[in-house]
Amino acid sequence: MQPSFFNQLLLICQFEIKRNFATRKGLLSLLAYGIIWYFILLYPLQFAAGLLTQEHGLNQNFSFFNFIGLSSIQRWSIPEFDVFWHFALMIFPMLSITLAADQTCSDRERGTLRFIVMRSSRDRVFFGRFISVMFIQILLIVAAAFSTWMLALYHDASLVASALPDLLALIVNLILIVLPFTAMMAALSAQVKSARQATIWAILVWTFMAGIISGLAHYLPELNFLKFLIPGYQLSDLAQLSGWRTLQLAFIPLLQSFILLACGRWIMSRQAL
Amino acid sequence: MKSPIIQCQQLRHIYSGKVALNDVSFEVEAGEPIGLVGPNGAGKTTLLNILSGFLRPTSGTVRLFGHAPGAVQLNGKVSALPQDARLDPIFTLTEQLAYYARLQGFTTQQAILEASRVLEAFALTEAAHEKPGVLSHGMAKRAAIAQAMIGTPALILLDEPTAGLDPVNVRTVRSIIAEQSSATTFIISSHDLAELDRLCRHILLLENGTLQTEKIQDNEQPSATRFITLQMESCPALEVIAKLKALEGVLQVTNPQKNEFVVAYKADLQSNIDLQLMQCIQANHWQYRQLNHGKTLEEKLFFRD
Repeated sequence: MQPSFFNQLLLICQFEIKRNFATRKGLLSLLAYGIIWYFILLYPLQFAAGLLTQEHGLNQNFSFFNFIGLSSIQRWSIPEFDVFWHFALMIFPMLSITLAADQTCSDRERGTLRFIVMRSSRDRVFFGRFISVMFIQILLIVAAAFSTWMLALYHDASLVASALPDLLALIVNLILIVLPFTAMMAALSAQVKSARQATIWAILVWTFMAGIISGLAHYLPELNFLKFLIPGYQLSDLAQLSGWRTLQLAFIPLLQSFILLACGRWIMSRQAL
Repeated sequence: MKSPIIQCQQLRHIYSGKVALNDVSFEVEAGEPIGLVGPNGAGKTTLLNILSGFLRPTSGTVRLFGHAPGAVQLNGKVSALPQDARLDPIFTLTEQLAYYARLQGFTTQQAILEASRVLEAFALTEAAHEKPGVLSHGMAKRAAIAQAMIGTPALILLDEPTAGLDPVNVRTVRSIIAEQSSATTFIISSHDLAELDRLCRHILLLENGTLQTEKIQDNEQPSATRFITLQMESCPALEVIAKLKALEGVLQVTNPQKNEFVVAYKADLQSNIDLQLMQCIQANHWQYRQLNHGKTLEEKLFFRD
């Protein structure tokens, strides 16, 4: 019996998740992520959150965070989330570019993709791998957000319930943030020969796209809407928001992801394997 | 009437300005293995890649069982050994082959059994839990052929299946193809003409991207002139040619390679030419190695008059 579209998506996802969680290479990457995140929690995050708490207590007009240009950092319900939010807005898009760089390229170069598409379809492979990378990132985001929540609880256990809605809002937002970056890497991975090339192209495409569109919008303000196509365009505005209000900008990453996935699918369907 | 399993019409493919395939049209019906031969760069791999759905032709149409190559309806029905494709270095052979079987619709348990079956068929049971990185070239090649045998595909496209294999494994591959050819149509691209001579009755010859007349290897040779290929031990070539030519019914004797002679004869004049040849060899105290009816595939395809 022919497996259905969703059945094959699930199989492809399972296999890719196994690659990341049940192989030595995958486990080493996870360990590295865990260690990096542990040090972020232990030093910058804990230190900055402590500083924020002190500032709240002092209620003074001068703020260290205003001084370093992060005036929006005191908007979330608990200080740890304030700092986490700003770290996450920088870290997760970068993590996404590296983590999602090799969705199909090395398998295509090795020829392994040929064995798979004989039994599936290019669409199923493309979307299956995109979903699996998203799933892995969701797990990493959830782990990072929960560890921050735990850190907050360690300092003040009374925050257990009140911080949960913000925790959820953080997770949903971060998923939306990495979505277009992952879609961009899916499209690039379908085109280039290696993960390294995909990463380099991501940086180049992103930089030139941002530069060209900003330049065009400067001289022709009616083209300002093109800025919506730049992945991460909403990040500076998002930094000013907190809680569920952050979802006001959710349409931007969703739109970007839709367009980038459509481009990626088009590339994948035409690419020689 | 059987409907063709492969239909190619005016297939054309251009690689960065170079024509790899030019106006290739042919149809293949289910049945005996089909050989795909041609010199290097003739377009064999390009044609197989298009049939497998790995490459889109520049123009022309291809249908496999009535579907475009790569269509999900062909899952489990068509499989391939692509040239130079390697398995994923991260997973063991069983893990990968079981995954492919699952994609073909096998349950988890069935998939593991199927992976074991094909690995065993290619003498890879001991390497079943090894990763491709530790396999020799020949073992990796056999593992790649094994993946093409998962399930019961109706059509298997093999690109250079025996290249790089030792004689024992060449024999294994040959016997598996022969065993399975009652249920599966094989298309085999190879430079090993002796191998194709053994396996295939039909040959597709590609030259410079163009499909030459579809060659049918037919040992019965319905025409009046027939051929015998004689391989001798070391012998005086000129004397052999002269004495064989003197036999009744012999039209021509050629010496295409050292110690190899092709004897053309009139079938209606000489029905027992093989016996005559043997007697001639014995009378002259020569030693022969092999006597075959018909020309070798190499002679038929590349050195025809």
